[in-house]
Amino acid sequence: MGSLEKQTDPTSPMHWRGDMQADYFYPSGVAGDKFFKHMMRSDTFLASKCTICNKVYCPPRLYCEDCFEEIPDNNWKEVPPIGAVRLFTVAKLNAHGKKLANPKIIALIDIDGTDSAMLGIIASNDINKDITGVKVKAVFKPKDKREGTIKDILYFEEI
Amino acid sequence: MVKKKEYKEWPPYAPGTYVRESDIREKKITYTWWEPEVQYSWSLGPAMSKFLQGLKAGKIYGIHCKRCKRVIVPPRMFCEYCFGPTEEWVELKDTGIIETFSISYLDPDARRIEEPILVGVISIDGASPQHGFMHYFGEMTKDDIKIGMKVKAVWKPENEREGSITDIIYFKPLNGGED
Repeated sequence: MGSLEKQTDPTSPMHWRGDMQADYFYPSGVAGDKFFKHMMRSDTFLASKCTICNKVYCPPRLYCEDCFEEIPDNNWKEVPPIGAVRLFTVAKLNAHGKKLANPKIIALIDIDGTDSAMLGIIASNDINKDITGVKVKAVFKPKDKREGTIKDILYFEEI
Repeated sequence: MVKKKEYKEWPPYAPGTYVRESDIREKKITYTWWEPEVQYSWSLGPAMSKFLQGLKAGKIYGIHCKRCKRVIVPPRMFCEYCFGPTEEWVELKDTGIIETFSISYLDPDARRIEEPILVGVISIDGASPQHGFMHYFGEMTKDDIKIGMKVKAVWKPENEREGSITDIIYFKPLNGGED
């Protein structure tokens, strides 16, 4: 008996199965809150412009990252949801490492009229095409279905 | 020497925008909420498997180390004192004495509660002194509980047991807790 006894039945050691709860909560912050609430009402983006170095941020920032200057409320502006692809990658696996039936194109998009870029999914079936520099436009969810998250942008499509 | 700063309030006031629970509930602010799927499977090994299967059958198993002459519970495949293999399974009683205890006014989610939860370590009868495990105490109040009190396990009905430490619901006082 005991540990000198040889284990012959591979099913006898038990396994304890469990589910760890690790909920993740991320508030958008003051600037992010304004940006998403604006996006829930209209099909444009909100950007903020530094008063000293004139750098335009989209998504907006409360402080300039370059000169640390606070950006006042009256220096915010609307920008169209249009931009040019700076670079892109093709995802053939999902977040769990499983193969995707339809590969996704994920791109970094320079938003027009700003000095910032946003990540977005490009709606295109041709994954072999070089889309660097191509002009794209954001397609939003129907207004009544928007929730105030980045997922309110469904994808970007070529114009 | 750096003078220690004394705060009038705690946490100290800091400028900024506070988020209240009602802001989240009433969707006054925008946020991202994500529940990751984090599943695990812990392989219990032969000793712990036998112990939990014993609980399912309503028995508490210990294991005997010949060299140190002690009975270990929860059982281990080797003795932590002499590093020798443990050899003989021993069936223990479901009674014991309270070794230490705690009166907790926080529930497992760290929320404040009115009626305290009593938890502690029980030395199981039949095992070597101060050998046992942690569990809940029931059928006693925070004023009754004391170190050295005799307790007995209250088991779940046999058909509800699943081979878990919670197959014992709690430990209740035995003979009024007297020796």
